[in-house]
Amino acid sequence: MSEFRVLNTRAARLDAPAKATGRAKYADDLAMPGMLYGAILQSPLAHAKILNIDTSKARKFPGIRAVVTAKEAGLVKYGVSPARYDETLYAHEKVRYVGDEIAAVAAVDPATAQEALDLIKVDYEELPAVFDMFEAMKEGAPQIHDEFPGNMNAEVHQEFGDTEAALAACDLVVHHTFLNKRQDAAFIEPHACVAVFDLDGKLTLHTSTQVPHYVMRTVAMVLQIPVGNVRVVKPYVGGGFGPKCEATPLEMSAALLARHTGKPVKITYSREQVFLHSRARHQFYAEMSLGVKQDGTMVALKNKAILDGGAYTSFGIATVYYSGSLLGGPYKLKAMKYDGQRVYTNKPACGAQRGHGGVAHRAAFEQLLDMAAEKLGFDPVEMRLRNIMTRGDMTINELDMSSLGMKECVEAVRDVSSWETKKGKLPKGKGIGMACGFFVSGAGYPIYRSDTYHSTVVIKLSEDGGIATVLTGSAEIGQGSDTTMAMIAAETLGIPLENVRVVSGDTDLAVDLGAYSSRQTLMTGHATKEAAEQLRGQIAAVLAETMGCDPSSITFRDGVVLFDGGPGNFEKLRSLYIKEHRGWTDPPGGEYLTFREAARLAYLKLGSMVGTGKYKPPRLGGSYKGAAVGTSPAYGCSAQVVEVTVDLETGQITVDRMTDAHDCGLAINKTQVEGQMHGSLSMGLGECLFEEVKFDSRGRVLNPSLGEYRIPTALDMPNVDTILVESNEPNGPYGAKEVGEGAIMPTIPAILNAVYDATGVRITELPCSSERLYMAMKAQEKK
Amino acid sequence: MLLPKFEYHEPTTLEEALRLLSELGGNAKVLAGGTDVLVRMKQKIDKPSHVISIARVPGLDAITPRDRHGVTVGSGVTAADLARHELIRDRFTPLALAAGRLGAPMIRNRATIGGNLVNARPAADFPPACMVLNAILKLKSAHDEREVPVNGFFRGPGDALIEPHELLVSINFETPPPWSGGSYVKLGARKTLEISMVNVAALVTLESADGPITAARIALGAVAPTPVRAYAAEELLVGKQPSEELFQQAGETGVGMCSPITDHRGTMEYRCMMIEVLTKRALRLAVEQARAWRP
Ligand SMILES: Cc1cc2nc3c(=O)[nH]c(=O)nc-3n(C[C@H](O)[C@H](O)[C@H](O)COP(=O)(O)OP(=O)(O)OC[C@H]3O[C@@H](n4cnc5c(N)ncnc54)[C@H](O)[C@@H]3O)c2cc1C
Repeated sequence: MSEFRVLNTRAARLDAPAKATGRAKYADDLAMPGMLYGAILQSPLAHAKILNIDTSKARKFPGIRAVVTAKEAGLVKYGVSPARYDETLYAHEKVRYVGDEIAAVAAVDPATAQEALDLIKVDYEELPAVFDMFEAMKEGAPQIHDEFPGNMNAEVHQEFGDTEAALAACDLVVHHTFLNKRQDAAFIEPHACVAVFDLDGKLTLHTSTQVPHYVMRTVAMVLQIPVGNVRVVKPYVGGGFGPKCEATPLEMSAALLARHTGKPVKITYSREQVFLHSRARHQFYAEMSLGVKQDGTMVALKNKAILDGGAYTSFGIATVYYSGSLLGGPYKLKAMKYDGQRVYTNKPACGAQRGHGGVAHRAAFEQLLDMAAEKLGFDPVEMRLRNIMTRGDMTINELDMSSLGMKECVEAVRDVSSWETKKGKLPKGKGIGMACGFFVSGAGYPIYRSDTYHSTVVIKLSEDGGIATVLTGSAEIGQGSDTTMAMIAAETLGIPLENVRVVSGDTDLAVDLGAYSSRQTLMTGHATKEAAEQLRGQIAAVLAETMGCDPSSITFRDGVVLFDGGPGNFEKLRSLYIKEHRGWTDPPGGEYLTFREAARLAYLKLGSMVGTGKYKPPRLGGSYKGAAVGTSPAYGCSAQVVEVTVDLETGQITVDRMTDAHDCGLAINKTQVEGQMHGSLSMGLGECLFEEVKFDSRGRVLNPSLGEYRIPTALDMPNVDTILVESNEPNGPYGAKEVGEGAIMPTIPAILNAVYDATGVRITELPCSSERLYMAMKAQEKK
Repeated sequence: MLLPKFEYHEPTTLEEALRLLSELGGNAKVLAGGTDVLVRMKQKIDKPSHVISIARVPGLDAITPRDRHGVTVGSGVTAADLARHELIRDRFTPLALAAGRLGAPMIRNRATIGGNLVNARPAADFPPACMVLNAILKLKSAHDEREVPVNGFFRGPGDALIEPHELLVSINFETPPPWSGGSYVKLGARKTLEISMVNVAALVTLESADGPITAARIALGAVAPTPVRAYAAEELLVGKQPSEELFQQAGETGVGMCSPITDHRGTMEYRCMMIEVLTKRALRLAVEQARAWRP
């Protein structure tokens, strides 16, 4: 029996009424008096020198209020990781992909802004371009950045143990290569923002982002505004999944245009521009070898990665590290070698997307595991259980599994899916497969080197003591973080959830690094809990003083105060309160002192009742180069079983059933955890079966719409059996850790392992379309 | 994406609509459900200076049975209406099935059969179904009226036998004879909201529940610049007892009628192989339905 009053329930989301009634305002819904509309001119060529930009006609166009180029914007370099700032707001000298930003305009309406773009005359000298990562690495390939010869954007070489020696000593070594395809995160709300300067020169940016904090810093840096004069406010956001984790040219253009015109400026990306901005999942090529012993013990893993980064770095450095570091678990290894390279090409930049850096390599690895199991005659479940890590294990690359319900997850999906009655017993065309994975609950370090807190939270009580408002910079992007923080605050304060409000996503309220790397439940959650504890302590101290008792004898639960676990003799407090209460129409009654009375009395003594909390992880990880990437205070993990039917005549795959178990430490809100599991699975299913951003021979996106970029529909998604495993993470608030990204890790390999089970065909390239599978089956028949 | 500027007309009678069309002709676009034309206008492929909505023209959205001989479907009838119409499902099965596979519910609520036919996309869902049902299209202009068989209506991608001043008013279908059954199958990447990689409609008439095939029609979509009838495959079937082998042969023959392309939805090789499979399946389903025929 859980002792929680609020946590671990299925409480309704705080934002449900606003979203269900359409009252929720998204960035593009915002309007301000005198607001102008911005538009951005983007390169039609994939690689070209800019010889001249003539904006004179556009400037004279009726209704145009400003035109800006690199001349106005300056050439401050920015990016995500300070180690690779390789972008300027507008291209000068050169454009590097179809979509590279060249200029922006502000006009009285969107149509005028669009028309004016056509009047900006840019003279280009086209340069040879390269679109394929393997081509880009070859000698003589077009060079995209002078500073990075060979188009080598980033390289990682790591080895733990002696991999070659370990492989040589193995009974069996299996090899596999795997190629995924560039993704689009396909969030429903395209990026949008409104920028406005007040008369004192302070910028407020209302923007659809996952990371108000990073946007604030980048915009301040690029536009050379003191950080304190930039406020970023996030309205409701319709999904992010990673690509909204960095400042965009849209935000900086809106801010720059607002500065030039003195008016609020709104810009919204079209769906096509979302594809051009990209910053979604890379294309990864994986080459992997796994060495095992006859008894099924996994010994050594050799992993090579090549990433198609597109024209700029974005999150890429972290990405190329993650492809290696996230294979350190959840299986015990004696040796692991990783060589990763991220390559520039003349395509939109790739960045972070759900399961950052880990998804494709996890897919390769979990298939490799099945291949080894088959060769050794082990059941895939058995093979995994033999090698599984448990609580307290340290991975070979020094990631600390302070809690890990991996074994419980595997056993749960095995049992719920009736694995044992199916595996190896299904007719041809039907298959069952499984896979595992794990992921961080927040990165151990901020993207820029700093000792900053990752999260600070303020909780303020209303004057009457009845309402607690959580003030946080964290980003509710649809995942439910506001509800999570409200639940943590309510639980800690001992008050009902409906007495908590949350104001979030505003850099003026508190510091928070934002919604990425599955960090907010753990990190913002810690800060929220600490703020609530502090507040609770202040109230208890005041009550104790008046009652002449020990503060530790006072507890709060369900909105009332308990003295030594009972109502206590609080008459003195109540009469004090009632004296104070004249003119209020809701006098307290009942046999317990209420939280509201207690908080009001504390206010009378202390003034505004405010509690503050903060969190940053302790120093984590090893001391080797790149050891920081992959570190986290805690790791979530999951196992999945997928059942498929393959139409042997067409190659069409129907995913019949998915069983998913995830260890989130403690489910703060069970429904929200399951929501993340469902969402992860559908995203993984889409990447596995359908999705691919395609380009023509000149680097133009061929399918920049949700009509032609195919994400799964309701009919493609089967019902999902979700199982919550709760391992009580010691480093998490109330034992909680991530679910937002880890749940996607096993999906692709579980599907592909099921497809193999159904057909005997190993798919080495995504998407596993009907055509690819059909052709592979044909090729197999011929053999 | 913004719509370009245009003048909007909303005639309330057929005469007015036809008059507007004859006056504005080449500068105008008819707007039915808008699921094609508005997309094309936003993409700046179509830039009409006038748009004529036919939403308020009475009668275009009617499904009218004609005794036992057939049915007249107004050009403005939506896919959703066709998919759930009992008579259409019973006797004109390929049409109802095609309607039910077009787009997704929201699209089906707007997309019209008229818009789909005039649009003349090689992969569209309605044309093959109409072709096996030998539909006759009624085209009207201010001063004229003509009937055009659907088999012959399509000239190329986006190109149909209709003049800018003409309106497609209705589509006539003859009820297939007793012991007929029909089907429609479609292959796309997803289960729904898909433009076909290949689609096949079939209509088969048997002599009796267990008799031989007396007539067969097969139409294939997304396999050539226009949807095509697989006449050679149809001929092969006539007079023969239905069987899996026969369907397979018909499928193989059907491939010969096609010249599919390789595009980002699928390669020519795969499409050819799928024509075979889908034809076989469409025939199997049509025969099943024919055998279950009830007066
Ligand atoms: C998301 C999406 C999914 C889709 N999926 C499919 C699909 O699965 N299968 C498929 O086949 N199509 C699909 N389509 C295309 C489209 O929905 C269909 O072609 C639809 O039937 C068009 O009908 P409409 O009424 O919307 O036509 P409109 O867009 O209104 O018109 C289409 C064209 O026909 C002309 N026109 C319309 N009515 C008449 C008339 N009575 N007389 C003369 N000219 C006329 C118009 O001027 C225009 O050129 C899809 C479209 C979208 C946006």
